[in-house]
Amino acid sequence: MLKKDYFVYLLIVLILFLPWFNSDSDQINFIPEISQEENPFYEINPCKISLFEFFNANKKSLFQDHYFFRPNNDSPINCFGRIAGISVQQKNLETQFIVSVGVNSLVNLLLQGSLWLLIISFVKKRNLVKKSNFLFHEIAIVSTTYLLTYSIYAQQRFYGTNIYLLDLSKTSSYVLIFLIFLFLTKNLIEVYIARSSKLINMVPFIFLLSGIFSGSNLVLFSFIFLYSGIQALFEKKYNKKIVSTYLVLSFWWLINSNGSFYFNPGKFRGFTNSVYEFNANLYWIVFFLLIVLGVLRELQLCLKYFNLQEFSTYFSISSAAILLTGLIGSNFPSINFLVTYYLGLQRNVVELINPFVFDEFGVKISWRGISPSSETIGEFFGLCLLINLFSILQKSKLDKFNYIGVLSAGIGLYFSDNRTSIFIVFFIISFFFLKANNQVIHIVKKISKKIKIGFLASALVIVYIFLQTDTYKFYSESLLGNSLLYQYDSVFSSYLKLLITSYEEKNLLYYVFGFFSAVGYLLNRAEMWGIFFARYNPTTLELIVGSGPLTLGQLYGEIKIEELSSFLLPHSSLLSYIVYFGLLPTLYGLYKLFSVMKNSKSNIMFLSVSTYIILNIIKNDSLNYFPVFLLYGYLLIIFYKFTFTTERI
Amino acid sequence: MSEVVELCGEIPSDFEKVDFSSNPNFVFENDPTFTAKQLFDEEGNTIFVNSFVECEHYVTGGWGYSPSKNNESHLLDILFYVVVALLVVTYSKNFVKRYIKK
Repeated sequence: MLKKDYFVYLLIVLILFLPWFNSDSDQINFIPEISQEENPFYEINPCKISLFEFFNANKKSLFQDHYFFRPNNDSPINCFGRIAGISVQQKNLETQFIVSVGVNSLVNLLLQGSLWLLIISFVKKRNLVKKSNFLFHEIAIVSTTYLLTYSIYAQQRFYGTNIYLLDLSKTSSYVLIFLIFLFLTKNLIEVYIARSSKLINMVPFIFLLSGIFSGSNLVLFSFIFLYSGIQALFEKKYNKKIVSTYLVLSFWWLINSNGSFYFNPGKFRGFTNSVYEFNANLYWIVFFLLIVLGVLRELQLCLKYFNLQEFSTYFSISSAAILLTGLIGSNFPSINFLVTYYLGLQRNVVELINPFVFDEFGVKISWRGISPSSETIGEFFGLCLLINLFSILQKSKLDKFNYIGVLSAGIGLYFSDNRTSIFIVFFIISFFFLKANNQVIHIVKKISKKIKIGFLASALVIVYIFLQTDTYKFYSESLLGNSLLYQYDSVFSSYLKLLITSYEEKNLLYYVFGFFSAVGYLLNRAEMWGIFFARYNPTTLELIVGSGPLTLGQLYGEIKIEELSSFLLPHSSLLSYIVYFGLLPTLYGLYKLFSVMKNSKSNIMFLSVSTYIILNIIKNDSLNYFPVFLLYGYLLIIFYKFTFTTERI
Repeated sequence: MSEVVELCGEIPSDFEKVDFSSNPNFVFENDPTFTAKQLFDEEGNTIFVNSFVECEHYVTGGWGYSPSKNNESHLLDILFYVVVALLVVTYSKNFVKRYIKK
């Protein structure tokens, strides 16, 4: 057993260090330190110097913040770990060096995937979850592999620029890809099944180890749920009505897949469609269904092994690790690159060195650490505080992990400057504090019915008066105003036309959308959502049932709008999911969630978590990231089923 | 012939292989419908061919992709065998485990 561990350690060390020593500099006598003058050396010697040799010749690049290391996934295999090129740019008085490090997408699959498998294998085996039928198990593995290979075929436009020299129009090219996926899937599933009862409590680590392959639109951990989703279909463990409805909608989404709109997955990598086309849409439709079925099946199998204390401990450890990795990575460009690569992050670690910094207007600059967005990591830290609160309440004492969790999450939440999360966490903690204080509860209970009605009536009157003011009028027209600001020439999206008509006619949509607009303004989303509606161009049926899951290509490609200073996402998971599934299924989903919340009034943990999630996803793209989708899915179901009485320490 | 198709494109219906050895002064005629292709020999020397006949002649004579592309193909082959070996280990390990359990 010990020998096996040494072997695993050796393998991990080799994977971590060996690639960056790959060099072809035998005929080079001297590697100069990079400067504006010495850049030609690196230009005429691409793929010769190893990353280690570069660090050795440029020791300042290890820690100075004007060096930026970026992976070049489209490099030949022999260029792996070498300096593929360097570009120099001037930003004000600072000379910046963008160092492109050669990596290869196919090798990445094998290298990153193997490393992550080895890391997961360190989790102690429990073998508690019952194994499924051998034949179904093997068929599910091969089906998952086939589906993953199909994802490459379906998104050739994305992979064509990310895989060096592999002709994706040839069937033979997919044999190697299929075999790599088979190796990864087979081993991952075997490793996972033996540890699934333990891993359910370790889900928060997915924010640290995101598992996104460099140069691919794939997340390693999604393989587990694809496999499990296929198993759920074999075992017929699914809600027939919902799956049938989904299949009917799928049929419509596929028929509707006209045109071809490319969408650069960027920080959504692993959980978004890169091109709005028939094959890609088909893949993402199947992917989404299997992921949902897989998550439900895994929770069904492992829920009984959920342990709040263990979960809280891992939440705290991952929170501290995320904070520390972010701080170290943002201060050391070399570590930034290696962390981004080996943790499989959506984006490189933030390059903002000082997380306390404010801009010239005195507004705090948000810090995102290793996360793709500061709001998303703020949500994570906020959740860490909530989970620690539940853990402390359950055992009525604090342990060292609670201290670690509360401290790291508190600091992280401040750095991220996610004010919604700060507010909700503060509100929930205050609620629990008041609840714990029986005197306050007693006073609240004593307040007579008449006073309660009086408060309610006063509130309604105040709201009514506010709705009549010019301030509200300004708020309620802010979204339309922003949409018109970004609308291009005489090109109007269908939704913008609808809005203009409703504002002219002052019909029901005017009032409903006006309220939504006011909420958007208060949440500082008027501009982002305004841009969204300037783009959103659905047909009537698309508005009702959407364009297909995880597909933003049509939204971003169909309608031209005014040039933006940077690429801007919708900044609302709710709006994204309306694009995917349309108004009807999205609102139905929300209605079901609210119904469940209403029927779980006594389950305060579930109410707290679900309120926190709903309020955050309205104003953030969170649900477009795989780790967030997974964690939120887990949390909602776990806390719906779990109460203090179901588990005792 | 598959290498010729890969490098030079589909074989024209009127293509006839010509024996050049009988005519040492033979000059290849340009085909305006043929997109010029760049071929390489083992030492990295390069040549542009302007007709299918010319392309086929050079490819059958050992010219082909650039050395870097050849090198990449070779590395892809190695990667393929590595993955196959890993899969053999994976499945045989499982097979042995199951056998021992029985």
